[in-house]
Amino acid sequence: MKYRLMVLAAAIALVAAACGGGADATTTTVADAGGGDTTATDAPSGDPIEIDFWVAFSDEKRLGFAQDRAAEFNAAHPEYNVKVTSFASYNDVFDAAVLAVDSGQPPALIHFFEAATRQALDAVDSSGNKIFKSVTEAIGGRTEILGEPVVLDNVVSAARDYYTVDGSFYSMPWNTSSTVLLSNMDILNAAGVTKPPETWGEVTAACEKVMAMTDGPSGCISWPNHSWFAEQSLGQQGELLANNDNGRSGRATEVFLNSKGMIDYVTWWKDLADKGYYTYTGQQRDWGGVDSAYLAGELAMMIDSSSDTVIHTDEATDLGFELKASFMPRNENVPYVGNLIGGATIWMLDGMDTKKEDGALAFMNFFSNPKNAAAWHQLTGYVPITEDAVALLNAEGWYDEAPNAKVASDQLAAAANTPASLGALIGNFVGIRDILTLAIEDILVNDVDVATRLGQANEEANKSLSEYEALFGN
Amino acid sequence: MNGLSPGVRRKTFFRGRRWPYHIGLTITALIIAFPLLYAMLVATQTNAETYSFQFTPGSAFWSNLNAVWVKRDFAGAMMNSLQQAVLVTTGKTILSLLAGLAFVYFKFRGKWIVFGLVLITLMMPTEVMILAMFRLVGGFGWQDTMAALVVPFLASATGAFLFRQHFANMPTELLEASQIDGASPVQFLRKVLIPLSWNVIAALFVIQFVYTWNMFLWPSLIIRDESKQVVQAALQTLTNIDGSLNFGPLMLAAVLASLPPGLVFILMQKPFMSGFAIGQDK
Amino acid sequence: MLILGLIVAAFLGPIFVWWKSEKPSLPRYGIASAAAVFGAAVTPIGMGQCAFAEETSGVDHLLAWALMAGGAWLALIVTQSVFDRRDGKRTGGGGVAGEIRTGGYRMGWWVPWLLLSPTLIILAVFLYTPAIQTFTLSSKLTRLGAPRSKDVCFGNFSELLITDPVRLVAYPLLAIGFIYAARLWVKRSTPDTWSRRGADVTSVVAMLSAFVAFYAMFSAGGAGQVAYRPVYLNTVIISVGIVVFGMVGGLGIAYLAFRQIKGGGVYRTLLIWPYAISPAVAGLLFFMIFDPTAGIFTYTMENWFGIDVPNYRESAILAQMAIILASSWKIIGYNILFYLAGLQTVSVDQVEASLIDGASARQRFTKIVLPALSPITFFLLVTNLTYAFFEVYGTIDFMTKGAPAGKTSVAIYEIIRVGVNNGDLGRGAAQSVLLFLAVIGVTLWQFRTSGERVSYGGS
Repeated sequence: MKYRLMVLAAAIALVAAACGGGADATTTTVADAGGGDTTATDAPSGDPIEIDFWVAFSDEKRLGFAQDRAAEFNAAHPEYNVKVTSFASYNDVFDAAVLAVDSGQPPALIHFFEAATRQALDAVDSSGNKIFKSVTEAIGGRTEILGEPVVLDNVVSAARDYYTVDGSFYSMPWNTSSTVLLSNMDILNAAGVTKPPETWGEVTAACEKVMAMTDGPSGCISWPNHSWFAEQSLGQQGELLANNDNGRSGRATEVFLNSKGMIDYVTWWKDLADKGYYTYTGQQRDWGGVDSAYLAGELAMMIDSSSDTVIHTDEATDLGFELKASFMPRNENVPYVGNLIGGATIWMLDGMDTKKEDGALAFMNFFSNPKNAAAWHQLTGYVPITEDAVALLNAEGWYDEAPNAKVASDQLAAAANTPASLGALIGNFVGIRDILTLAIEDILVNDVDVATRLGQANEEANKSLSEYEALFGN
Repeated sequence: MNGLSPGVRRKTFFRGRRWPYHIGLTITALIIAFPLLYAMLVATQTNAETYSFQFTPGSAFWSNLNAVWVKRDFAGAMMNSLQQAVLVTTGKTILSLLAGLAFVYFKFRGKWIVFGLVLITLMMPTEVMILAMFRLVGGFGWQDTMAALVVPFLASATGAFLFRQHFANMPTELLEASQIDGASPVQFLRKVLIPLSWNVIAALFVIQFVYTWNMFLWPSLIIRDESKQVVQAALQTLTNIDGSLNFGPLMLAAVLASLPPGLVFILMQKPFMSGFAIGQDK
Repeated sequence: MLILGLIVAAFLGPIFVWWKSEKPSLPRYGIASAAAVFGAAVTPIGMGQCAFAEETSGVDHLLAWALMAGGAWLALIVTQSVFDRRDGKRTGGGGVAGEIRTGGYRMGWWVPWLLLSPTLIILAVFLYTPAIQTFTLSSKLTRLGAPRSKDVCFGNFSELLITDPVRLVAYPLLAIGFIYAARLWVKRSTPDTWSRRGADVTSVVAMLSAFVAFYAMFSAGGAGQVAYRPVYLNTVIISVGIVVFGMVGGLGIAYLAFRQIKGGGVYRTLLIWPYAISPAVAGLLFFMIFDPTAGIFTYTMENWFGIDVPNYRESAILAQMAIILASSWKIIGYNILFYLAGLQTVSVDQVEASLIDGASARQRFTKIVLPALSPITFFLLVTNLTYAFFEVYGTIDFMTKGAPAGKTSVAIYEIIRVGVNNGDLGRGAAQSVLLFLAVIGVTLWQFRTSGERVSYGGS
């Protein structure tokens, strides 16, 4: 009887608390909805303007970085309050933003990834207005906003070229990376391989030696089954993923998932897997699983996003092995064209009043100022996003200290500026990527013919794209 | 077993030695417990210790706890889940009691149609309409709110039936006596019916608490803001800690997430069983 | 086409009444006819008659006919139950609505409605509305946040099915025919003869043929069709696996545990607690155990038994087994709980009598214990099946995410993959409708069977 009463009492207390909380929530909602665009101007001068910044990171390093920068910005600009909210994935941020726009309480800034650039450009609210505003347009040629120097013109060329659509930046680049090969030199040296392999053939040869060792690791190489690696490979081989110059001279209306470059790449991949050199973790997009196996010494090499190069180099030092970063291995049978970027940018929502918008713009430029961009790079391994940040790092002598960190920037600098190495802008790219990774998984795990399966995937992807274009296209 | 049928002395109809059963049951209990015990072990370890298959407690319990509880604010997620579970459970119980009262002690036109409409919802699990529900609730502007986690689950056909059956089996004199006292239906419910229904309420409480606490799909769709997330969906982001898969913190979080429903279930086992016996009884 | 269908419905209505009703009368024939026409017309007209448009395929026509028939049938059932009530006959819906007590409150008509209103409002807004919207969505090509949508009528359904309308009709008819034939044989044969045993086996095979018929009806993919057959197969394998594993295990353990020995309560607690564990956590725990590099299972197999275990996520069978194991581990506590309660109801007298007769332990189990447990078994069958349909989502999401190559992607997982991750709301909704039909099927089967066979009487 006693505990029943206790449970009941606890329940009532919680309900009361929740109702109290609920009531508070309602009042703020009402204030927000009523205020809308005019909140800023009507607000008493003591009340800072809220700038909601939705970030698709949840780990303490990356999310923590964003929170710390927001705190610094708020301290320097007391009239603003940048509030960082964490989400589990890019898609989560985006879906939440679309719903929030329709319910009238959108955030100011959202963090969204490169492959969905087309999708973000196409996004509209329930009355058909574009959700996002071009950052270039909003800056309008200013070199300084609220005392924060504009850094958008200073963005490194690889990112600038990728994100420039119709001649302007729609979003502000933030975390930008490329693919790198991370070699466990202790294992490679033991197998008699003195330098990291540069081509597909060299990878196969190195793996042959690694796997021939009696006390070697259980696998030789791995990378996540993520469409990004296949896209990188197409860029390296100079092949397009979609028509209309990868969707850059017009909307892409056709994709080529079974091009020669793609078939060659997947065939090489499957060959590695069949020989037992490539370890498949068994899950698509399994970044964590590949990392764990590599760090556990189960692999001699992994191809990874450069976004973790610094982190992994430190971890390798802790674990006591030498980790060396190098360019992503390429197809030796065709001339090298170039690798592309990956990562995400910050998009600004349309419909804010000037004061709030300026705050958001100032924050974005502060966020990637040379000092912050350099710190971000040093924390993670993402490429320093502006030329000034690169200069700052050089001046500090950082690259002598951490040569691995420079590999991604060098690889991007080595790329020719062609539509193939710029990467594609495709509608429903996320869905199309999913079709490709599923097909690759099928090929790796089951004994199916590469060209046939990719042909099937291509058919599916084109159907999906044409449906997307029917809903979003012109 | 004694708790199941109080007052009835049952003869055991299985003869023979007892010790083989003790051994069999102990082994079975250990096998069933193994996944959780193993998770508890890993929860104390660093990744290196896990990979080297160390079978003694590791060195990283406090740092794992810090990584999960503080840095990733799993404490916040536990609080959100607790709030959701208590609100849903309480709300559901109250609404079910009211519905049971209406169905048993009132005569009204269209009763059987209403009852049929409630009955049919047993065939309508939320999961099959989850896409439409996501659009609908999102359209209310409820994403990332506690309302989205609570309000859609407040009504329960199961609960309404449970109380309807329970009330229907009570003596009619109760109502007559209460009417003579001039008690209103709500007073009757509060003073007479509820005190006689604690077992059913407890049974419903356990079922609903466990159900709500363990909800995964819906929160992972409608709650995107990590600070508003509930436990089960928050586990998902913990598969990546410091850029890779760290088993220790992950398993620690899994164990922590299981404590509240486990405790509720174990502590309230007896009322749960007897309440359910009433529910099952015709 | 539509008109033809409505005319057929108009005739079917009276036939139905003549067949079912005890007091057929002219006005009732008229009402039934109108109801059937209404039921048949409501969906096709609601959908703008799109299924009978020029460019649609035979399968679309077939689906439209099926929908009209279903609508008419539903309308007739409702009409009939109204007639029955008028005649003072208690039918299903009315019968369970509770005794109308002599001492009931006599207050304003609005009082019960007030008491019921919170429940009814929530059910209407959060169950009925999304249910209807699911049907609407399923006929569209639409994406979250898209500026426009396109009506595709039954397109989202017909692409899940084989393209040959003749076979599409033939398979289910064959299965139904087989089931009825087997049932007839059972009825005609005398118990305890070889004929009856043969009939029993045949009726089990006939039930299984229904599964095969569905398998054959779903598309294997290609030519613009969606390969739904593998999803169906995964769902069947994983659901049946969970139900069989969980229930047989649960019964076995309960049978071991219910004997009155010292510490019985402690044992019971130690056996049933996994009920409180969430499907997601169950997935995580087994994800750890089976991890190919860090998991204890692989390690033990390799180092203690010298067996080289492949990565379970790369093998369809192993991945499915892992999901089944994790899910049945979680549900087994629930099953033990109910079987323990059920075993209390086994009649001691019967057992004593059988002991005197010298029945073996096995006979005792099959002849006395199992039949006594049949209501519980049936109840558990349905709850386990629901669990296997829906709750398994969390387990799959943590263990395999549908790998390898979609071999553990069951119906609910596929709905989320298509509808949420790929943002294809229309197709996701169409698959939801299929799952909805499956749930309705299981529930109706439960109602029918529990009426026929399972008796809670006395227990």
